[in-house]
Amino acid sequence: MSGALQFWNARVWAPYIRATARWPWLRSIVPFLPLIALWWAVAEAEFVPRAFLPGPVEVVASFFTLTYKGILPEYLSDSVTRLALGAAVGIAIGIPLGLLVGLNRTAHRALWPILLFFQAIGDIAWLPILLIWFGFGLTTMTLVIVYTVLFPIVLNTVLGVRSVPFDLHRAARSLGASPARVVWEVVLPGSLPNIMTGLRNGLGYGWRALIAAEIIVGTSGIGFLMFDARRAGSVVEILLGMIVLGVLWYIVDAWILAPIERATGERWGMVQRR
Amino acid sequence: MKSLTLKNLQKTYFDPYSGTEVTAIRDVSLDVGPGEFVAIVGPSGCGKTTILNMVAGFLAPSGGEILVDSRPVHGPGPDRGVVFQSFALFPWKTVLDNVAFGPKMRGIGRPEREASAREFLELAGLSHAADRYPNELSGGMQQRVGVVRALANHPDVLLMDEPFASVDAQTRMTLQEELARIWQERRTTVLFITHDVAEAVFLANRVIVLSGGRVQTEIEIALPHPRSWDALMDDDGFKALSSQVLQQVRAA
Amino acid sequence: MRRLASATYFSLPLIALVVLWAIVVRVFDVDPRVFPGIGSVVGAAVESIRDGSLINHVAASMWRVVVGTVLALVLAVPMGIAMGVSPGISSFFTPIFRFFSVLAGIAWIPIATLWFGYGFGAIVFVIFNAVFFVVTYNTLLGVTSIPMPLRHAAASLGAGPWQMVTQVLLPGALPNIVTGVRTGLGFAWRGLIAAEMIATNVGLGYMLFVARDFYRTEVIVFGMIVIGVLWMLIDRLLLVPLERATTERWGMVRAE
Repeated sequence: MSGALQFWNARVWAPYIRATARWPWLRSIVPFLPLIALWWAVAEAEFVPRAFLPGPVEVVASFFTLTYKGILPEYLSDSVTRLALGAAVGIAIGIPLGLLVGLNRTAHRALWPILLFFQAIGDIAWLPILLIWFGFGLTTMTLVIVYTVLFPIVLNTVLGVRSVPFDLHRAARSLGASPARVVWEVVLPGSLPNIMTGLRNGLGYGWRALIAAEIIVGTSGIGFLMFDARRAGSVVEILLGMIVLGVLWYIVDAWILAPIERATGERWGMVQRR
Repeated sequence: MKSLTLKNLQKTYFDPYSGTEVTAIRDVSLDVGPGEFVAIVGPSGCGKTTILNMVAGFLAPSGGEILVDSRPVHGPGPDRGVVFQSFALFPWKTVLDNVAFGPKMRGIGRPEREASAREFLELAGLSHAADRYPNELSGGMQQRVGVVRALANHPDVLLMDEPFASVDAQTRMTLQEELARIWQERRTTVLFITHDVAEAVFLANRVIVLSGGRVQTEIEIALPHPRSWDALMDDDGFKALSSQVLQQVRAA
Repeated sequence: MRRLASATYFSLPLIALVVLWAIVVRVFDVDPRVFPGIGSVVGAAVESIRDGSLINHVAASMWRVVVGTVLALVLAVPMGIAMGVSPGISSFFTPIFRFFSVLAGIAWIPIATLWFGYGFGAIVFVIFNAVFFVVTYNTLLGVTSIPMPLRHAAASLGAGPWQMVTQVLLPGALPNIVTGVRTGLGFAWRGLIAAEMIATNVGLGYMLFVARDFYRTEVIVFGMIVIGVLWMLIDRLLLVPLERATTERWGMVRAE
């Protein structure tokens, strides 16, 4: 057994580690290969009917078909636009609100329980009443996303504001900064790592809320694609939708958001990362 | 250089745990002449940091007045520079930007304030660290930056709150010598808080012993400048003064 | 005494909000089909308690959550520990679990309803999913962050594999596991409500959605309050103290 293990380590594992050192993106991709192979094997073996579990080949074929027909790009851009819009509004409201609640004791006492409670209700639970008020459309969906993105951002901003050491406030003041300038020069940069965390969480929840909204409400978008396919009984598109979602968010989170979070926090020595 | 006057300073606050009014500072009056270096020592909890916080404007006095050159002061401001025990450098700004912060607040343009900052950094031997971030520096270097940052803002008075307490013993001695040297050159008016008696005697030309929220003793330190640890460690005058102050502190 | 005081402080703004609600509805003469007055919401509450429908919905929802979560934990924790033990294996599988954590919950609803039909199975599957991947990922992370010297120390003190797991790995990873449970349950709760809106005929999500059809805003608002209160109870009274207890008690510090 140990001979086989040695062989594995020397001929397979070691070269892999070296390769990932040179091309780090390999580390994100290679682990999926055995998974895809497993998927293919299970689908081929038809433990369940093909209609219930299609294989990777069919899904890839569907990807090309839908892209060719223009459906996939259109749905994708619809989903992404909604998310971006909702997120932008959520950030625009969330950060100032977080600053206010974090800096002002009265605002904190008055608003913190309310924030926690409304966060607990959750975005999805607002759908029914939003549907009554605004009907089945873009407004409803955007509002759900704004609501979803808002809370992690506000709560994390508050956390960040409160974690700025008080001595930094004082240092800035005794160097001549007015209270307003202290917010801009000290509190905001100091809370930035936490705000990034809030943004990351918020977008993560927002993405999911978008899909749910599109499933329940929508007329277009990836979530709608999946639900429509489900209605037609076509598993292939559902799987395609899920994979597109997963890959997209994985890319955004791992290659855009996480590095930014790391860059601000770690570079300034403010956050210990594993 | 300006003078600093404390007139009948008082500070009481309400302690929620004991439910009573606690008097931290009973009645402190002090005159720091222009260019003087005054150190305040005392046992822990005697209120020396409270006094500094009041002079810096971080804490409002319950009674009495604080005057810089016979002008009363309220709240923090660039006329009273502060050096903190925790360094309080802005971690997201480079050393250069930290030092240029005060001038930036006063609206001085970038080329001017950066040039001035570089001059000050050179004064303290920190030119090579200008583009580093605080967390890349050792504690001793960070505090040097802290001192330089306060000085670069040309304060009327420099307030130092146990600035070397968070630094190891050897670095502390180096920093004390550097501070003595800088003070000799610039003759800033300094109010220095410490619990380390030897440090107070080394740096100051007057040592105030605080006790029970009041000034207990004032001792003139007539040692010559420039001062160095090599010279003073075995100096009889230094040892006599140190033990005199220490006795006063212990009797507090 | 302090807990009572802080509980009061906490409720005060919420009570103020309720008062504000009552005033606004009155003053602006809001159409009850747009937003209900307090009276009708209370009426809906009383009615649903009396005819037992509230209990049915809450029980159905909670039961699904419990089943899904327990199943997920039973599988996720051992798996996470097993994978976490070897740094090579854990770093290899991390991207996979990160990927699936991303899909946690809601994205599985369409396929879940196809595979399990409408009802209990699909919803439990969604919840299972939401908790499973997140907890496995966090357990993995937790185990790998246990300093090697600790494991070496245990080994040289004679710990066998089972003891290593129960005495070192599990306690060491516990803060991360609890964080994972909290996050996963957050996703699961959302997924639950969303799934119940489409895939079943009993449960809190269903209660909200069907009320929409009849413009019964008072039922909707009541349902939203129930959902909010339930989650607050679960999160604040159960999960947060659990999280605090594991990290603080053992003096372990994590990145927030």
